[in-house]
Amino acid sequence: MDSSSSRTPPARTTSGAPRYTLLLVAGLLLLAGAVLASLVLGSRETSLGDVLDTLAGTADPFTAAVIESRYPRTVLGLLAGAGLAVAGTLLQGVTRNPLAEPGLLGVNMGAAAGIVTASAFLGVSGAASSVWWALPGAVVAGVLVYAIGAAGPGAGLVRLVLAGAVVSAVLGAYIQAVALSLPNVFDGYRTWVVGSLAGRDMDVVLAVLPFAVFGLALTALVTPGLNGLALGEEAALSVGVNTALVRAGGLAAATLLSAAATAAAGPIVFVGLAVPHIVRAFVGIDFRQQIPFALLLGPSLLLVADVVGRVVMRPQELMVGVVAAFAGAPLLLYTVRGMRGAT
Amino acid sequence: MTASSTRTATLRLGSVVAVPFRWRSVVVGALLLVATLVSAVATIALGPLGVPLESFPAILTGELDRQTLFALERLSGPRLVVAVGTGLALGIAGALFQSVARNPLGSPDVIGVGAGAGAGAALVALLLPGSLPVPVGAVLGGFVAVGLVYLATGSGFRHPGRLIIAGIGVAALSTALTQYVVFAVARDRSSVLSAYLNGSLSARSWEHALTVWLCLALILPAVALLAGRVAITEMGDEVSDGLGAEPNRTRTWAVVLSVLLSAAAVSVAGPIAFVALTAPNIAKRLSRAAGPNLVLAGLTGGLLLVLADLVAQHSPIGDRLPVGVFTMGLGGAYLGYLLILEWRKGTL
Repeated sequence: MDSSSSRTPPARTTSGAPRYTLLLVAGLLLLAGAVLASLVLGSRETSLGDVLDTLAGTADPFTAAVIESRYPRTVLGLLAGAGLAVAGTLLQGVTRNPLAEPGLLGVNMGAAAGIVTASAFLGVSGAASSVWWALPGAVVAGVLVYAIGAAGPGAGLVRLVLAGAVVSAVLGAYIQAVALSLPNVFDGYRTWVVGSLAGRDMDVVLAVLPFAVFGLALTALVTPGLNGLALGEEAALSVGVNTALVRAGGLAAATLLSAAATAAAGPIVFVGLAVPHIVRAFVGIDFRQQIPFALLLGPSLLLVADVVGRVVMRPQELMVGVVAAFAGAPLLLYTVRGMRGAT
Repeated sequence: MTASSTRTATLRLGSVVAVPFRWRSVVVGALLLVATLVSAVATIALGPLGVPLESFPAILTGELDRQTLFALERLSGPRLVVAVGTGLALGIAGALFQSVARNPLGSPDVIGVGAGAGAGAALVALLLPGSLPVPVGAVLGGFVAVGLVYLATGSGFRHPGRLIIAGIGVAALSTALTQYVVFAVARDRSSVLSAYLNGSLSARSWEHALTVWLCLALILPAVALLAGRVAITEMGDEVSDGLGAEPNRTRTWAVVLSVLLSAAAVSVAGPIAFVALTAPNIAKRLSRAAGPNLVLAGLTGGLLLVLADLVAQHSPIGDRLPVGVFTMGLGGAYLGYLLILEWRKGTL
């Protein structure tokens, strides 16, 4: 820790930039640690030395094969974690609702339903080509949730979440019905339906990557406008923010990122809720600082959750979606407790 | 109040017993019973192993051939009896909790009691087999879930919005626990998976039927004793205090009985979604009566589950999907409709 910055009296204003740099460095270290853990730990035991040897190309072929088999899931974890975290931050910013999250709002389940439909009925085979169907699914689910949540006069904090739960339940039943009726098609999807990084290859990474990159680029464009949006509609307009454009861009970016993350790892809930909350606690309300930090924290948390799932019941694996729900749901309870005055 | 606009009558037995009742509720109840009976007959008659309608008199006299008897005694019979009992328990559990929460959405399956009971049942049955009877595990799980929801809202069950969101969190937590248990122990047995995760009525035995009806026999008398007070509590705390209904104590007991009934249902059929939510609402719309409508809610629950199971057994889509998938899909759609309705009225 840098002791000089904490001793200067007006620390709040002057140490903002160094503190943020420090946080980013800490986030980077965390991410590096999570990546290494994801490569080292698994149902078969390997050591840090094995990983370094493999990276240097000097490991024995068997160990190298074991560790190389962890590359795709690690990269997918990075992509999915980043996508969910940034999508959550964007949705919370656009809706000004601290409970907004692609998982809770049913967007992830919509993306998953799109992929399932394509694989089951449209003859789309292979994870790589079905990624495209995640996008319309996510859009339809998002629109549906908004249509239900915005019905009637006055919009509460709770409504969108409740509408999301309803849409998720119905889509989840649909996915279950399809997966159970066509077991042959869904043999490889059985764990993905719950949220899992296991058993996927680099083709999926390549298919998901463009969505994620495009979504992140769009995020970079709308991020400054989100700060204006946080001031409220009128104040935002008066400082020259095109609120409609920022909202549309933010929602589009969030949808792209959720679809990419779901295609990569299945419908995972709570990562997009937890990360923005933690990020806000550390860096405050400026979205230009929130997004980069979320970009580091999201993948770290998802990879750590995946690693926990790998070791918690060796030699079996627990799906990352289950670990994420277990770790993230208490945060939802904590948030509800803090919702003073909101119905 | 709509009660004044419909005719009521009083059933008198001598000079001691005088039970007021509404004709509309009686008619609705009778119709629900008839509909359940028709669905039950259809359940037994349909399918390759079904008992043809002309053989029905033989069921009563016991003169069935061996194959039909086997199908009836081992397959469709217990399943049907479990479905009716489970639906009855879920409907009454839902009506009790909705009355306490004063909101049509505050039902045990929405606020995570069903999922919690499911997690408790899975934990006891799969991870620690032999430690406790499964229904006890379900009861413990249900109470832990309802306790977590109560604590998480920070204001008891008063704010429906917070109640529901806390319920979503507790349900997610419980489902994650169930998934952990199920995947740790029964990864390759898909029927076990769907029974614990979705709720299923397939392969139920007379033992299951006995469990759920025994639980009903124990719990329903207590519900009957409490019913009058629950109805009074809906008039508001001051009125019910004045009438001696002790609103807080009544609500606590209503929650306890609701959790017990949910746990009884879950321990034989798994966490079947949205029957506890929809049954009381449908019953209320049919009877147009004030109050919790416990009897009609129970009858509606039984009918809904028998119908859903009939669809599950003979649907063209999918080969024998678990009934929980159907109730989740259809009940979820109904919940969406209900949400829009409640928001239009501004009651949530």
